[in-house]
Amino acid sequence: MQITITDIYKRYGDVVALDGPSFEIPSGSTFGVLGTNGAGKSTLFGLLVGHDRPDGGTIDVGGLDVEEAGHRVRERVGFLPEHSGFPGSLTGREVLSTHARIRGLENRDERIEEVLELVGLTDAADRAVSGYSNGMGRRLGLAAALLPEPPVLVLDEPTAGLDPRGVTAFHDIVTRIGNETDTTVVLSSHVLSEVESLCDHVAILHDGRLHASGSVESLCATGDTVTVSVATTNPSARARLLEELQLRVEELEVVHRDGSSDRLEVRCDRSRAFDLVAHLESDLVEHFEVREPGLEAAFHRAVEGGSMADESAPDGHKLRGETAHAEGDAIPAEVGR
Amino acid sequence: MTLTNEYEGDLESVEPIDAAHADETTAASTATSKTVGRQVLVLAESEYRLAIRSRWAVALTGIFAAFALGLTTFSGASVSPEGFDRTVASLAVLAVYLVPLVALAFSYDAIVGREESGWLQTLFSLPVSRAWIVLGTALGRGAILASATIIGFGVAGGFLLLEFGLAGFDTYVAFLLSTVALGLAFLAFGVLLSTLAREKTHALGFALLAWAWFVLVHDLLALGILSAFDLPGTALSALLLANPTSVFRALVLGSLGAAGDAGFASVLAEAGLSPGVLLGALLAWIVVPIALAAVAIRRRRV
Repeated sequence: MQITITDIYKRYGDVVALDGPSFEIPSGSTFGVLGTNGAGKSTLFGLLVGHDRPDGGTIDVGGLDVEEAGHRVRERVGFLPEHSGFPGSLTGREVLSTHARIRGLENRDERIEEVLELVGLTDAADRAVSGYSNGMGRRLGLAAALLPEPPVLVLDEPTAGLDPRGVTAFHDIVTRIGNETDTTVVLSSHVLSEVESLCDHVAILHDGRLHASGSVESLCATGDTVTVSVATTNPSARARLLEELQLRVEELEVVHRDGSSDRLEVRCDRSRAFDLVAHLESDLVEHFEVREPGLEAAFHRAVEGGSMADESAPDGHKLRGETAHAEGDAIPAEVGR
Repeated sequence: MTLTNEYEGDLESVEPIDAAHADETTAASTATSKTVGRQVLVLAESEYRLAIRSRWAVALTGIFAAFALGLTTFSGASVSPEGFDRTVASLAVLAVYLVPLVALAFSYDAIVGREESGWLQTLFSLPVSRAWIVLGTALGRGAILASATIIGFGVAGGFLLLEFGLAGFDTYVAFLLSTVALGLAFLAFGVLLSTLAREKTHALGFALLAWAWFVLVHDLLALGILSAFDLPGTALSALLLANPTSVFRALVLGSLGAAGDAGFASVLAEAGLSPGVLLGALLAWIVVPIALAAVAIRRRRV
């Protein structure tokens, strides 16, 4: 089920939470909404499920305008809010049963068993929620969102506050949903690696504005810059390496790691990276690697460089000076809207 | 014709109705009513279950039973059948202080407390109108409060029944039902405060202020106004109806023939409002706050 966000605008008092982002979330995709704290992610999700009304613009979920048909949209959307919670004295099964009965699901018991198994809570289903860990609580929230087999699943900061095992478990579930169903999964996060590993499409919000959107592949491929990372523990070798690198590249970033090991990072053109590595003196270098630009680089480029073109902006809402970009095309940095 | 909910967009577009679609529309309307009824009942049942498990139900019943039995024991000892009325009058005085306090304490966190625990955000994400969430919450808690009132004060009524027999027991039943209505009125007011408050502590503060106003200040102020100015009868009625505890006292005292109280209570007895009007007013004190809360929650940002 496709979601189209068009010129959405929302303000709270003097604060503009969303300043006209427009983008499309393709049907069946796993779509990440990236942004720093206060970027407008949760506000956008609140509008998407009809928690709040926009001051301008529209959100269309599978042909339904959220503002006009919020009730029907919520029938089709499973939502895991960032700050979801459940009454501690209910058991996990009772929470799901309450959800299922409010939704009017017919094959309730069967469906509850299915989602409990999917999120790995079958054994804990009859325990009071107050005894659940944070991760189990999030998985219960996910189970509740999945109950109606929604064509759209919206997850607001789903792994915030989870320990590494909880994060991994959650990622596995979301990956399964993405791979095994046609569900359109929309998740927000400020963890770039999470979005990069889970999502096939992404939108980058900053200060309520859209700074980039498109497939992860296309955003990551933007530009020819790669990062060369060189590590050494020898202080004198480090100084020599630094001199050597400064002779060859203009932009140099030095990263100190734990005081015991120094890592020098250089961003340069792909073509120059091989030349640079070839000229490094091997006795000075303990470790080196050449990294392709990832989502992190795309994010910083988008946020620091203003808006980037949106390959999936709805007709009539293309970003200024934009031409449509095919999947995988380079997305040039542009002036902010 | 298109109907659009101003806040939530919960009402769906409604196409023009012709005769051919009338049956279909009626069926759809019935289905919608059934859905709403089911959702409200599920929410009410959920609230009821939570109150049972959190021992609120036992605590409320215990408080009412303890106070009612204590007062009945001391005020009802060695009395004649007229003592039945006297006991009810004493219990009415107790109820005016106790029941609003307990009802507000039980309801001030109904909405804001659920928001702080994250449950409200979860409920808002479901295809259920926010107004029904308020109604279901109020119904569930109302059922608990009503049961606790009936059982708690009913225990004392049982002892009175054993002592005095059936004669005059109808007065006690009327008192019991009026007490339930008083409790529900303050519960409804607590739900409204809980819907308007941004934080639980604010809701608690508002609830205590409301209790002080309705139970302590309003009658004193009304007495002062009445003695200072020569007000018409309608002003007295308006002052009475503006406070559910005054309505309750007028109702109970009216059934007792104005026995056993003083101060503003005697003024209430002179207001001359019929039991029907007083019952209607108490009902309005239950319905209006819930309706206002159902509207206010649509503006609530989670």
